[in-house]
Amino acid sequence: MPDSHPLPTTATVRVQRFNPDNDKKPRIQEFKVPLTADTTILDALHYIKAELDGSLTFRRSCRHAICGSCAMNVNGRNMLVCKTPLTRELDQQARVTIKPLPYLPIIKDLVVDRSSFWEQYQRVKPWLIPPDNVPEKEFRVSPEEVEALHNAETCIMCGACYSACQVIAMTKEYIGPHALLKAFLRVLDPRDAAPGERLADLDGGDGVYRCHTIFNCIDACPKNLNPTQAIETLRKLAQKRQAYEVERAERQKTLTQPVK
Amino acid sequence: MSKPEPLTHDVIVVGAGLAGSWAAMIASQQGVKDVAVLSKIHPLRSHSGAAQGGIAAALGNTRPVPSTGAEGPLEQVPDGSEPSDSLESHIFDTIKGSDWLGDQDAIEIMINDAPRVIYEYEHLGCVFSRTPDGRVNQRRFGGHSAPRACFAADWTGHVLLHTIHEQALRHGVKFYSEWYCMDLIVEDNICRGVVALNILTGEIHTIRAKAVMFGTGGYGRAYKITSNAHANTGDGVAIAYNAGVPLMDMEFVQFHPTGLYKHGILMSEACRGEGGYLVNSQGERFMERYAKAKMELAPRDLVSRSEQQEINEGRGGEADRDAIYLDLRHLGREKILQRLPQVRELAIDFVGTDPIDKLVPIQPTAHYSMGGIPCDASGQVIADAQGTPVVGFYAAGECACISVHGANRLGTNSLLDASVFGRRAGFAIAEFVKGGAQLHPIAGDPAERNRQRVRSRMENPGKESIDKIADALKTTMTINCGVFRDGGKLQIALQDIQRLEERFAHAPIRDKSSRFNTDVLNALETEHLLSFSAVIVAGAIARTECRGAHWRTDHPARDDQNWLKHTLAQRQGEGEPPKLDYKPVNINYEKYPPQERKY
Repeated sequence: MPDSHPLPTTATVRVQRFNPDNDKKPRIQEFKVPLTADTTILDALHYIKAELDGSLTFRRSCRHAICGSCAMNVNGRNMLVCKTPLTRELDQQARVTIKPLPYLPIIKDLVVDRSSFWEQYQRVKPWLIPPDNVPEKEFRVSPEEVEALHNAETCIMCGACYSACQVIAMTKEYIGPHALLKAFLRVLDPRDAAPGERLADLDGGDGVYRCHTIFNCIDACPKNLNPTQAIETLRKLAQKRQAYEVERAERQKTLTQPVK
Repeated sequence: MSKPEPLTHDVIVVGAGLAGSWAAMIASQQGVKDVAVLSKIHPLRSHSGAAQGGIAAALGNTRPVPSTGAEGPLEQVPDGSEPSDSLESHIFDTIKGSDWLGDQDAIEIMINDAPRVIYEYEHLGCVFSRTPDGRVNQRRFGGHSAPRACFAADWTGHVLLHTIHEQALRHGVKFYSEWYCMDLIVEDNICRGVVALNILTGEIHTIRAKAVMFGTGGYGRAYKITSNAHANTGDGVAIAYNAGVPLMDMEFVQFHPTGLYKHGILMSEACRGEGGYLVNSQGERFMERYAKAKMELAPRDLVSRSEQQEINEGRGGEADRDAIYLDLRHLGREKILQRLPQVRELAIDFVGTDPIDKLVPIQPTAHYSMGGIPCDASGQVIADAQGTPVVGFYAAGECACISVHGANRLGTNSLLDASVFGRRAGFAIAEFVKGGAQLHPIAGDPAERNRQRVRSRMENPGKESIDKIADALKTTMTINCGVFRDGGKLQIALQDIQRLEERFAHAPIRDKSSRFNTDVLNALETEHLLSFSAVIVAGAIARTECRGAHWRTDHPARDDQNWLKHTLAQRQGEGEPPKLDYKPVNINYEKYPPQERKY
């Protein structure tokens, strides 16, 4: 909404409805919702469910952008609805259109089936594979080494990037930006014992070379992360995999010593 | 709805936050083959992930720069110097923080385990912030007399949760994602399984197990202003109560001093740990009047009361004069971006204020449930004041009451509690199952009973709204059972809850479909909120003293003579108030005798 206009008192929220048990295809339903400057899109959905239609179905939990439940497609863009002010997304007629994340099977209304998303997450072995010998206290990792992981560490697995990815739109065989970001976290972590195996696995046809660097994932990420850059880094490391394995094996020898 | 075959597992863990994930991972690692976790939301959506500021352990990795005072900068402790922290100090701080209601044997266990648990997290891949020489970094937190909050910027819970969930996957734990536990099957003090709703299909199953563990989280959603996720409806607590297990110390609800104004969303205590101030509408650092020594880093109960008093005496800000301000401006841009990036984003997104150059309006927010399901330090749930075990039933984390937090929890001790006791429950469950635990027969058809429970509410012809009932409950709990309480207000809350229970009998589920029916969840959750809120209020009415977070303005002093004891509330017949019983606190009178609590 342009700032110069006074705030309308209601907004028209257009929500895509679909229950595969009863409906042949999705349809748009309009609801009038009271509007204040700090109404979020999630508030609007709660209002509809409480006051207008108890069957409206969506996921949500933390309502402050850390649990990753409420990623949806608003006016054609993927975002977390809990942290998005309704006013920001309204058009000149005070309307907004909310749909489920695209390219994923719809379970009901705004709830999608993220099975392929979680399968790819598990496929990259998201867990750290610790070295055989662990010290009595902590491994010594430098603040700079930790800093290098920040791009991946705060991923909340909401699926906004995954369902914005044009490659995923075509094939669910692709590992996807979320799982590659997780793989990046492990490959870059000096404590992980299997960076070479991981890189070999990511080097295949469904891995890092499947990314077409369209950057949709960056635009969609509600945590301002950069999966494309992580994928780029993984490509470079995959190309010099053996050298990287040697470098990392050397670093593992010093993991129990002060870094400074 | 069809009638599926009963499912069977060795171990069923309900809840996939830190407590549940630790228990499942350890049980599996210890050789129990068939461990399954039920979670009503995807495991990585669990509320443990929302914890921000840190997890406590007396590692002694940092200390105040010598001669810079209580608010001075921290430095890493050089190798070979005197220890800067001790287990003893952490134990005493926790006991004092609990206002002497914490069980001292359990507190000692938790704090002695703390360093081991941090190192395990670290070895399993948790990305902690670091000191320059590469150790886990530590910051200050309220009520702790040394910097002992191990942290990952201000998303500590997030990295701990992801680490443990991933390790549980690595060890072959099976996850039932988006399954809602509705009922616990206990007969003759033996736990036999649970009843659960597969949210996707709408089918209700009996799941038999040799051991059941609850890590179902807290009950902050009974309040209107809360930091808690929508999921935190205290389901496990209510389900255990309905199955005949008593609830312990439910009247102790922590109000966090810095919830974003009107939203209740958490602004981590790390804001003050890193040096932030609290000011009233006149710009005064008012904590000087309430806790001269500790100032903003006094424990949460005291700080929240101080804020509320400032507001009540007309020194609050914003249009309704009911806000306090968090001032981070003097920390500087770099420190805020490095140490508090998430809370900065939250302030910008939800109140339109960048803490780098503006004051952030805040208010006390319902945050943590000290009370819960009574159990011992191995997670074994107990059925009465004599400690009779409910065989095969375990609990840990916020839904449990061991009690390590007593009347008031210290910041960073909750991630510790969930981790230490989730882990311990995992070992205890593994021993129990490998020691020959059996599946026990189940009388009747509990799944069918629960199908009927849902069906009858779907067919209910009443006109009441579940949402309006839940909203009215949260409002009365916030006004009448909040930071300051008195007998009159608590009686109003009690009557309100009784009236809401009556209205709830006429509130239908409006979504009649079976697939992913969140209206059914809403109904069951509201039923749970009503049932345990009555227990909170009953315990608060009976406890005529001030202790920790339970503050009675009509009984304005701690009363050790009569009230140095735990409340146990047992469910009676339909519509009847709980029967209150009491249990002594474990106190080592030689080492930690009760003292006046001053900061």
